[in-house]
Amino acid sequence: MAEHGALLQCRVCSHLSHPPRQLKRFEVMHCPRCGARVKFAQQSNSVEVTWALLIAAAILYIPANMLPIMSVYMLGAGQPDTIITGVYHLLEAGQWPLALIVFVASIVVPLLKLFTLSFLLISIQRRSRWRQYDRMRLYRITEYVGRWSMVDVFVIAILVGLVQFGNLARVDANLGSLSFAAVVVLTMFAARTLDEHLIWDITRQEEQQNA
Amino acid sequence: MSVSAEPIACQECGQLHRYRPVAPGKTANCSRCGAVLYRNRPNMLDAVLALTLAGLTLFVLTNVFPLLGLRAQGAEQELHLLGASLAFWDQGYPILAGLIILNIIVFPLFELLTLLVVVLTIRYRWRSNMAIFLFRWMRELKPWGMLEVFMLGVLVAVVKLGDLATLIVGAAFWSFAGLILTMAAATALLDPFSVWRALEKKHG
Repeated sequence: MAEHGALLQCRVCSHLSHPPRQLKRFEVMHCPRCGARVKFAQQSNSVEVTWALLIAAAILYIPANMLPIMSVYMLGAGQPDTIITGVYHLLEAGQWPLALIVFVASIVVPLLKLFTLSFLLISIQRRSRWRQYDRMRLYRITEYVGRWSMVDVFVIAILVGLVQFGNLARVDANLGSLSFAAVVVLTMFAARTLDEHLIWDITRQEEQQNA
Repeated sequence: MSVSAEPIACQECGQLHRYRPVAPGKTANCSRCGAVLYRNRPNMLDAVLALTLAGLTLFVLTNVFPLLGLRAQGAEQELHLLGASLAFWDQGYPILAGLIILNIIVFPLFELLTLLVVVLTIRYRWRSNMAIFLFRWMRELKPWGMLEVFMLGVLVAVVKLGDLATLIVGAAFWSFAGLILTMAAATALLDPFSVWRALEKKHG
């Protein structure tokens, strides 16, 4: 939905099209090539929607880290694990590469995503011209890396599915895993709703004024 | 329709360009941010078709055979891909189970079938409405197919369980690894710009 004078760009297929002369209230424009929704500046709620998703994710980040994500029972005795204690157990067992993977994917990446997207939103709202190219790359990296946080959810799914030996050994899922998955999903949506072309809009407006 | 006269915009930064044909094997890059605008890949469609068919075969194998097995004190457990997806269901988390089924079964299958339809549509000049619809959704849903993330999860689980009990790596583990490589290769080869142009030409 970046604007080029009179042209609108589709975010899905990049097709350029002319905006309709008049759009009724609540009417939506669709890309003539691929059919995806095309928004334009007067209508754009990218910044607001992204903030809403980010705030929801930030709130859920708390239970995701406080509540246990899974419980391991060995010979009847069980111990619930939060994300952090899970990492700690891996370190204790001497498996530091695994501990590092889980730590980065489950704690560092979601936290960095929350901060990075907030930073990008604020810089867009302040119409900043600072390092636009680097900010766009930052956005691309954030968008790409987010999905890897699901790795911990998948590990729990595999352990729960595989380790079911009754009293001998058993792994159960706990509520924290649901909160954590919600954080990942919400931040992925937030990365998607943030329109990265807004980073360039200030430059484009100046170019148009000078032209 | 004179496509060459129409401006095209960079997918990354929105910079406007004019379409100019490039030599086979070459790419056209954005003058502002350097992103790839389009490529000229002579055998792209055939290569993607081959990879898609291989991918569909591997997908079936991955879902039929067990992924991992665990032996502890004489008892044995096997885990299929679907079993891993449904593990949360049995624990009372149907939403999580649904999410994982989408991530590792539905979306990857959707992507493979879409690639098949798109390539065949371009190759045999079918009506392109269906292909356009599918390709658009495939592009939008791409981040939600998480085969490679799941593979990392499998590796983490394998190492975690290694000390605990005897672990059996199933046949599906290997077909799964192959599936990830196949789909990554197809994604890397496919040039979205060329696909959209080909679908559009028949449409208009």
